[in-house]
Amino acid sequence: MKDYILSLRNLRKAFGGVVAVADVSLDIEANKIVAVIGPNGAGKTTLFNLITGYYVPTRGEIWFQNKLINSVSAPKRVEMGIARTFQHILLFSHMTVLENVMTGRHSRSHAGFIEAALRLPRFHREEESITLEATRYLNLVGLGQYARQEALSMPYGQQKLIAIARALASEPKLLLLDEPGAGLNTMEKKDLSDLLHRIKELGITVVLVEHDMDMVMKVAEWVIVLDVGRKLAEGTAAQIQRDEKVIAAYLGEDDL
Amino acid sequence: MSSDQLAQYLFTGLTQGSLYALIALGFAITYTVTGIINFAQGEFVMLGGMFSYYILDNTSLPIAAVFLISVIAVSLVGVLLELLAIRPARNSPVVSLIIITIGASILIRGMVGEYISKDAVPIPSFTGDGKFSVLGAVVTYQSLWVIGIALVSVVGFYLLLSRTMIGKALRACSINKRTASLMGINASNMSTLSFLISAALGAIGGIVIAPLAFTQVTIGVSLGLRGFVAAAIGGFTNIPLIVAGALGLGILEQLGGATLSAYKDAIALGALLVVLIIRAGWLQTATGSE
Amino acid sequence: MAGKLFKWQYLIIALIAAGLILLPFSGDIYYTSIMVIIAIYSMLTIGLCLLMGYTGQISLGHAAFYGTGAFISAITTAKYGWSPWLAMPVAAISTAAIAYFIGLPIFRLRGNYLAMGTLGMGIIIWVLFNELDQFTGGPSGLPGVPGLSIGGFAFDTDFRYYYLVWGVCAVMLIISYNIIHSRSGRALRAIHGSEAASEAVGINVSQFKIQVFVLSAVFASIAGSLYVHYLAYVSPSPFDFMFSIKLVVMAVIGGLANIWGAVFGAGAVVMIDQHLGTFGELDTILFGLILILVMIFMSHGLIPGIGDLYEKWRTRRAKAQDALSSK
Repeated sequence: MKDYILSLRNLRKAFGGVVAVADVSLDIEANKIVAVIGPNGAGKTTLFNLITGYYVPTRGEIWFQNKLINSVSAPKRVEMGIARTFQHILLFSHMTVLENVMTGRHSRSHAGFIEAALRLPRFHREEESITLEATRYLNLVGLGQYARQEALSMPYGQQKLIAIARALASEPKLLLLDEPGAGLNTMEKKDLSDLLHRIKELGITVVLVEHDMDMVMKVAEWVIVLDVGRKLAEGTAAQIQRDEKVIAAYLGEDDL
Repeated sequence: MSSDQLAQYLFTGLTQGSLYALIALGFAITYTVTGIINFAQGEFVMLGGMFSYYILDNTSLPIAAVFLISVIAVSLVGVLLELLAIRPARNSPVVSLIIITIGASILIRGMVGEYISKDAVPIPSFTGDGKFSVLGAVVTYQSLWVIGIALVSVVGFYLLLSRTMIGKALRACSINKRTASLMGINASNMSTLSFLISAALGAIGGIVIAPLAFTQVTIGVSLGLRGFVAAAIGGFTNIPLIVAGALGLGILEQLGGATLSAYKDAIALGALLVVLIIRAGWLQTATGSE
Repeated sequence: MAGKLFKWQYLIIALIAAGLILLPFSGDIYYTSIMVIIAIYSMLTIGLCLLMGYTGQISLGHAAFYGTGAFISAITTAKYGWSPWLAMPVAAISTAAIAYFIGLPIFRLRGNYLAMGTLGMGIIIWVLFNELDQFTGGPSGLPGVPGLSIGGFAFDTDFRYYYLVWGVCAVMLIISYNIIHSRSGRALRAIHGSEAASEAVGINVSQFKIQVFVLSAVFASIAGSLYVHYLAYVSPSPFDFMFSIKLVVMAVIGGLANIWGAVFGAGAVVMIDQHLGTFGELDTILFGLILILVMIFMSHGLIPGIGDLYEKWRTRRAKAQDALSSK
């Protein structure tokens, strides 16, 4: 059996009468870059929310590193190694760029209220380590010099990178990126593709939701296509482009 | 408990519950149209009674005129509240809006206490103090007025929402404000209108109940709380459920008050918390998230 | 800029601190005793600021924990002869437990529902204070609460009590400051910014909310204990809904996310009460106006609000100078 880092079995999510994800089963190989594509409303973000534990599935199983994680809480899943970014970025307000990335270290540190209040030695040690690690990840996305800027005052494209740094700071094994390329210009998209390859080199599995087919063609080693909450097809980018079902689903869209 | 007493508790509970229903619908209309819980809702009830007292004390107008004038006056207060305190802060976070409506409620209470009266004040019954007995319960004419006027108001409210253009506009806003404005509905005006209606409903309740229980500047908080419980039971949108919840709460209070008299307040609130938490928990499992 | 102070604010704090240290030596009993009350109210407000300003939650029943601390201290010392120094931590731990068990279900609620929930909690507890009169003495209260003393040194004058309560208040400020500038503080700010994103970095949102709730309750309990040993008496009336609202006013005036402002807010409300309290309901009217206006125009409270204005003026001036110099 191949080394699958993430497996979904018959996953279903219904909101009252609306079925967002219907009977999806898939496997993600470790340390690959996988793209999840599909028309709007196909259930891609819902899928992410299910994997991270933000939503509870109506039915089905989620396996992470061969462990069933259905009953594992969302914060615990971060500890286990699942991290994500959001379509709307959601950087924290009233915080600097570096502080935002430092929050990413939350799951890798432990000093609580008491250590903080009394400034015990463990607090100081951890703060140093948190700051160092956060700086490292900020440098990885190339924004080290903006550490002290107010995070929400940064340009859109750079905010997206900061969000990725924040997610990386939790040392994930699986990184879920929700439309990382949306709203970026060609140059920024190229930088993003390079960043994704660097992330893969760190041993991390990357799953990204994307609409830009050029980008998907360039970075994705495997593509999964969703439509109306179901898995329509999967394969390499080249295979997907030729798949009749996929073409039919996208009829009317410009991307293909 | 004898059957006489039971009948009495049921009837009194029904009377009180009618009042709660009016308050609850006031919460419901402002919440569904504007998304705001108006913590000053209870003060509209208090204002209804206090304005009536003031007018009665200073003029010799007949009660029907006093009723009408008070309701109009309180409705204006509701409109002013929306225009001056809520609208400027429309896009603030929920916590800010909560604090604003709390500020409005204590402002209103302060002004009434300062310029009208701090004491409990009496209002005469509409058609005298007559009463009769039904199944062992004492039924006063005034309590019939309460139930009757409340019934008319609730039905009128329901008809307004379901049969008139304005009502449809209000409902459209509650479902999706942006789409509503694309359809030509002025969402801001609908906000103001919802506050007007909720103030009117509160005032009506406050005036009809005043002869039965002294009206005083301090009654707004606990009445508002009970109206909120009833509205929460109906999820703020289900009118029949809200009314049923209000009546049920009124009866529950009476029954509970019989056994644990002074804990009446605590009972209403205990009910509140249980209902809210169960609802929140139910909502949580439904979406699996917030 | 949660918790961050502009440089000139450090200077102001230093001046205020100096003033505070020297005040009792002026011999003015009236102001010394008022300042004792302000210190106690500040402790309450600091906790509320952490809860409302940092995690962005709301509590309209904070007076309840002030009351539990007060009553537990009063009852154990007046009726059962406990040492006040034992009663105070016991009261604090008990209050923490009460807050924890209330917090567990209540923080499943959000926004308006949470506000109503805390409101309900506050009123229920107040009703209990009034009705469990075999313990609490009911509405007429419990006299005979002993004062505080260490060895032979009794805190039996306003002068001495002043330093005691301001010392405790200073410790609470330091603890709060330490927490804000830490991993926990970042987590709290994150929760305020976006609960979804906080969860995504592994922050257990409800656990944090409850922890801050408990912390604020502990501060309130200590304030309550200090209060009753000062008054030598306790009754349910100070712990009602109106006082919970007053605490919110104090927090709002000081700027919800500003713990230093908490002291300012407490002072402002006490002063307003002192000077307007006798003029009928003018103080209530003023508080209502303050709440409305501050939330509409200065959502960061009066102190940061003034700081914001200064910053705006400064940037406008800098821009004007840049424009001039580039011509």
